[in-house]
Amino acid sequence: MSPRWAKTVRDVWQERARSLMVVCAIALGIAAFSSVLSTYAIINRELNQGYLATNPASFTLRTDALDDAVIALVRSNPGVQTAEPRRVVSGRMKAGPANWRNVMFFVVNDYAAIQVSKLVPETGAWPPAVGEVLIERDAFQVAKASVGDSVAIRMQNGIEKTLKVTGGVHDVGQAQARMENIVYAYITLDTLALLGEKPYLDQLKVVVSGDGLDRDHIGRVADDVKKQLEAAGHLVRRVEIPDPGKHPHADLMAMLLLAISTFGLLVLALSGVLVVNLLTAIMASQVRQIGVMKAIGGSRRQIAQIYFGQALLLGVLATLVALPLSLVGSRQLSLYLARFLNFDMTSFAVPLWVYILVGLIGLATPLMAAAYPVLKGTGLSVAAALADFGVSDRGFGQGRLDRALASVGGVARPLLLAVRNSFRQRVRLALTLTTLSIAGLFFMAALNVRASMMNTIDHLFASKLFDLTLGLGALGPYEPVERAIARTPGTVRAEGWIASDASIVSGSGSVTPAAESNPHGGTAASALSHSGGSSPASGESRFSVLGVTPKTRMLDLDIGEGRDLLPDDVDAIIFNTALAARNPGIKVGQSVILRMGPAEASWKVIGIAREAFSPPTAYVSRNYFDRVGGHAGAANTVRIAMERSDEASMATFKAALDRNLDTEGVKVTGSLTKLDSRYGFDQHMLMIYIFLVVMSVIIGSVGGLGLMTTMSLNVLERRREMGVLRAVGASSRMVWMIIVTEGVTVGLLSFVVAALLAWPLSRGLGNFIGSALFGSSLANVFEVRGLVIWLAVSIGLSLIASFIPAWNASRSSVREALGFE
Amino acid sequence: MLIEVKAVTKAYRTPAGSFVALRDVDFAANKGEFVALVGKSGSGKSTLLNMLGGIDRPTAGSVVVDGTAIEAMGENALALWRGRKVGLVFQFFQLLPTLTVVENVMLPMDFSGSIPPAERRPRALSLLDQVGVSSQADKLPSSLSGGQAQRVAIARSLANRPAVILADEPTGNLDSATAGSVLELLRGLANEGATVVIATHERDIGSVVDRKVEIVDGVVAR
Repeated sequence: MSPRWAKTVRDVWQERARSLMVVCAIALGIAAFSSVLSTYAIINRELNQGYLATNPASFTLRTDALDDAVIALVRSNPGVQTAEPRRVVSGRMKAGPANWRNVMFFVVNDYAAIQVSKLVPETGAWPPAVGEVLIERDAFQVAKASVGDSVAIRMQNGIEKTLKVTGGVHDVGQAQARMENIVYAYITLDTLALLGEKPYLDQLKVVVSGDGLDRDHIGRVADDVKKQLEAAGHLVRRVEIPDPGKHPHADLMAMLLLAISTFGLLVLALSGVLVVNLLTAIMASQVRQIGVMKAIGGSRRQIAQIYFGQALLLGVLATLVALPLSLVGSRQLSLYLARFLNFDMTSFAVPLWVYILVGLIGLATPLMAAAYPVLKGTGLSVAAALADFGVSDRGFGQGRLDRALASVGGVARPLLLAVRNSFRQRVRLALTLTTLSIAGLFFMAALNVRASMMNTIDHLFASKLFDLTLGLGALGPYEPVERAIARTPGTVRAEGWIASDASIVSGSGSVTPAAESNPHGGTAASALSHSGGSSPASGESRFSVLGVTPKTRMLDLDIGEGRDLLPDDVDAIIFNTALAARNPGIKVGQSVILRMGPAEASWKVIGIAREAFSPPTAYVSRNYFDRVGGHAGAANTVRIAMERSDEASMATFKAALDRNLDTEGVKVTGSLTKLDSRYGFDQHMLMIYIFLVVMSVIIGSVGGLGLMTTMSLNVLERRREMGVLRAVGASSRMVWMIIVTEGVTVGLLSFVVAALLAWPLSRGLGNFIGSALFGSSLANVFEVRGLVIWLAVSIGLSLIASFIPAWNASRSSVREALGFE
Repeated sequence: MLIEVKAVTKAYRTPAGSFVALRDVDFAANKGEFVALVGKSGSGKSTLLNMLGGIDRPTAGSVVVDGTAIEAMGENALALWRGRKVGLVFQFFQLLPTLTVVENVMLPMDFSGSIPPAERRPRALSLLDQVGVSSQADKLPSSLSGGQAQRVAIARSLANRPAVILADEPTGNLDSATAGSVLELLRGLANEGATVVIATHERDIGSVVDRKVEIVDGVVAR
């Protein structure tokens, strides 16, 4: 080995402690970044591969009862590769003493012959026989049932039957049932008949032949098939074309991965800052050696090669440490995200390009971090380098800040020394403060965003003054419902409303792709889970219209613009923010034509209600339905306010209400409690909150490592001063205290910086996450607890980070310290 | 003349104002001559030595070494020139702590590239043998005595067969017996044809060197 290479390698070994810190810092950054990058590659591949393996439908036609002849006709279309009929029916399910749960039945005629949107049998029997039901694997927890259980089923037609749960399946296209708080169940057509429903299928799932990823091609085939069906006398109610080849949650996943990637890059950048700090210190200690090498004939390039070589060596070591860590990290992160999106991982293999990119970043990071200190160190003249005495190149006392600090008096001299020492290495201090402050910023922002999310949800639920929503299916008389509710103990008040699907007639407002309307008035959970991007071929955007009781006491809309509904309003309509955002051309005061069922009517937009995390919804007075539609005294949805809304009271109330409604002959098709709605929201928020906190903990660790590095460098460079202090009578304890105080001063400074910036960052981050994931900004609040916790963490981190350097310094003898060079 | 210094002035800027370390100095040395620059601490002898080695640049005047006017050369060209033409010996030896003794001697050859790679180690060992420390070749500098370290530093200064050897207080950190042997070593190098210039405090240097040049307050006294 040539002397230059020998120096490269041995210097790294000689400075083991610092080299280890550099390797740790780079490895942490690379591990975080490459975990995210690998996860991105794995999830992108697995999500879409897993989804494509189910042979998803290119489009779905919602029509009336399909017969074999028409299916054969569609299959004969040259643009169609295959087509299968399905049906989705709502109902309720009850296992043992558990409460009734909303259930979505997926009806298939022949499970053994499924070719489109395939299911994966996981446990128990396959396919389900008559009288049997299969449950989606994640929905078992919602159903509170197991394979082998008998469950009570109540359909919208009021018929109640018992089915046996005989197996579990994995339905890749469905969101996590736990988050949606709904049971996905799979039955045959015969079982549907057993449940009292007419045994027909009314959805046609079609896979196109040719380029299945060409949206235009799919659109053309869909139009063609629609015409075929209409020519055969079928009414096509809707054509849904999802994004071709893309998992329904791919966009949500991309959003999450973007957020995580940003975090990975941030950690990488912070670790880079740490490396700059360390290499600057290493170079500072090498200045005289650089002078000697120059004096004996080394050129700047030759000497720089030695130090870049060291940086490269550290990068190689760090990459070797980081790679296994990142493999573990990407595996865990992929599993977490896969669980969240309800799909299975078939392979954790990381593509070669990720390894190459990580390797390049691993090598480039220390080289870039070393560039400034190396070029600065090797650029010194020989005379200046030889004259270096190994401490700061800038004496304290030359700047204004120095003089200001020097003028501060009145406190103990050791304390003054510690505070002034904190400001001696300005660049190092700035870099350390940057790292620590960012950690604090993220920590506080995480708590603030969480608090803002909760506050936003609180606002949303505060506007809904009811505890229970009942869906009644078809419009019917409200009187028997009212009687049943009146007989149920615990009721405060109830109102019967009319809910309808509507669309804005083209020309009277803007038209954008639709989202599924929500029969329960909408939750973020459902908004999130149905964000798959399906769009109606009809070109109309559908949304829910709720006809509420005049002077309703169940709603306290947060009117952002215009006014609330008045008792005598008939054709007045309020848009919620999601609907207003979807139709930016429609302003308060304008008229719009809505199509509800076959009827079209003109409405005047009187206000816009702020409703975060909600699907597009409009509010009108039910006066319209009563007076114009002739539905006085009818309702298809009910809102009930209760005396007590805890889980136990709710269960008791619902059981009693069910009995009373049965007695009155009222068939409930679905129910949703405020608690259940809230649960769905909280599940989604929890994931984001955990992510933010984990992020801030990792960044906090980088910050702590940065402070520890700074303190150890400060102590190392001032060992001679420590010797002087000891020589003039400072006890070990005093030396220890001075160093720890210096560390705490830096910690406190970082806290101040973070505290000042936390609010604007939190607002920005909160609004970004809210807009990206839920399409609305947050009602931001500042979490004071975050401030207090981070103050404690800053002090704690500073104490921990300065303890070891302080301990070492306080234990070295006067002779050792004074002899240090 | 191998070394020719004409009217060199060196001034430094300090917070207290300009400080003139050398004032209109003329100096010359022949090939194979052993010259001692003597004077009190701060007199300017190390500054003059730095001018000769291209470590520092004159504010005014010219420095010509072995036919090369070095004050006009850039840093990298100077480094290359110094590596081939000048051997430097420092008071505190300045051996690189993570290189072994023989590697320290090989390093200038590595930098200059003037000695083929295969010949570097044998030559370094030969030089160590010449200064009497070949038995220490594979040890690290931290295990050497002061005298041994300075001998290694002298061997290092000879690595590229320089025409000029400049030594700044080469005996300043050694006991008198060791200092004597180091001076004898330098004397021998001058006898072999190298021009040796040392800056020193040694009072009895006269018996070893060919000529003493005294510097007082930045001016050549005699």
